[in-house]
Amino acid sequence: MSQPIRDKARELLQTKKVECVIGWERATDGVTARPLFVYDIKDVDRLIFDQTCVHNLSRYLRDRKDKTTAIVAKPCDARGINMLLNEQQLDRQKLFIIGVVCQGVNERCWGQADARQQERCQWCRQHVPPVYDFLVGEKPASEPSAPSYPDIAEFEKKSPEERRAFWEEQYQACIRCNACRHSCPGCYCQECFAENLDPTWVGIRIAPAESQIWNLVRAFHLSGRCVDCGACEQACPVNIPLMLLNRKLQKDGIDFFGFEPGLSAETAPPFATFKKDEKLEGGE
Amino acid sequence: MVTAYQPRIIGFLCNWCSYAGADLAGTSRISYPGNIRIIRVPCSARVDPLFIVKAFQYGADGVLVAGCHPGDCHYSEGNYHTRRRLALLHSFLDFTGIEKERLRLEWVSASEGKRWSQVVTDFTAQVAALGPRAK
Repeated sequence: MSQPIRDKARELLQTKKVECVIGWERATDGVTARPLFVYDIKDVDRLIFDQTCVHNLSRYLRDRKDKTTAIVAKPCDARGINMLLNEQQLDRQKLFIIGVVCQGVNERCWGQADARQQERCQWCRQHVPPVYDFLVGEKPASEPSAPSYPDIAEFEKKSPEERRAFWEEQYQACIRCNACRHSCPGCYCQECFAENLDPTWVGIRIAPAESQIWNLVRAFHLSGRCVDCGACEQACPVNIPLMLLNRKLQKDGIDFFGFEPGLSAETAPPFATFKKDEKLEGGE
Repeated sequence: MVTAYQPRIIGFLCNWCSYAGADLAGTSRISYPGNIRIIRVPCSARVDPLFIVKAFQYGADGVLVAGCHPGDCHYSEGNYHTRRRLALLHSFLDFTGIEKERLRLEWVSASEGKRWSQVVTDFTAQVAALGPRAK
């Protein structure tokens, strides 16, 4: 799959259509992948794509907003691009998307050739990027079916007390390194609520109560925006199941508002719009 | 002497309807449980879900958000946005172990002093029945 990406990247750079191609290359452990920015044709052959390419590259696009850029995008990355386009964060005219068909990516394990496939990929239905200019890989015959959330259904079987205890343990583990925020294409606020000093929403101490507010509000700020790419969970050094929070909000977004983020750049996300006569559960 | 458990409830009230409604309850001498601490906000849409999570972090046992009836918002459409946000937050907090019953969204107009007292009485009883929140 890597060769057509390289050919296209070479063509784009040669014709000066773009200044930079963002993709993946083999990392120094010889097994995993890392993001690569190609500015020069001589580096084009370093580009790869396989199941180790876990990062969401749409994360980098805002920094190149005013420059012409090509990006290698698997479905998750392309959904991230749609989400950012919807929020007027990118200029589609300056962007060239090399879409790749994806059958799921692995968990991020340094130097491990036999890393497991990510859990969310096993439930994923979106194998073709929802937006692209050039597609690499074989398009499957069937259209994507509705997403499924067996993990959420399973977790909801627990009692409130069990759920509380489970998350309490996760908050205990959080070291608030903010890796989840930095890996996320949706977390781009210049000033995050977590850095606000007056009022101090998230206190400086490393305590479960502070981590609770960080983790809950981080996830909630991504409601109706999270594209299910799993970058936050892969970046988390203490293995907090962040996707469980994100996927719960995704599931409710579909159930309550019929909205799935990143499938189109045009549809307004649920919190940007409303219906006057909708009936929602909310204690109302 | 054993005193009965008294829940602490935070109420976010919209300035134009619910706060006036609560005021009417006061001037009409309608009594209701004093467990609620009222915070006046310009509109129910001013209630960032962050405020609610923060209230729970600070030890609130319940949070009540009250605003104008749909269609009556002073800012035309604030409460429609509140309704969407709260619906999602409600289910999300329940997922993380803060029970659904601890958060409520109500519409109380400026003329509904009686209804306001009823809402607070009901909600206080509901939260009290759950007992203190595990810390």
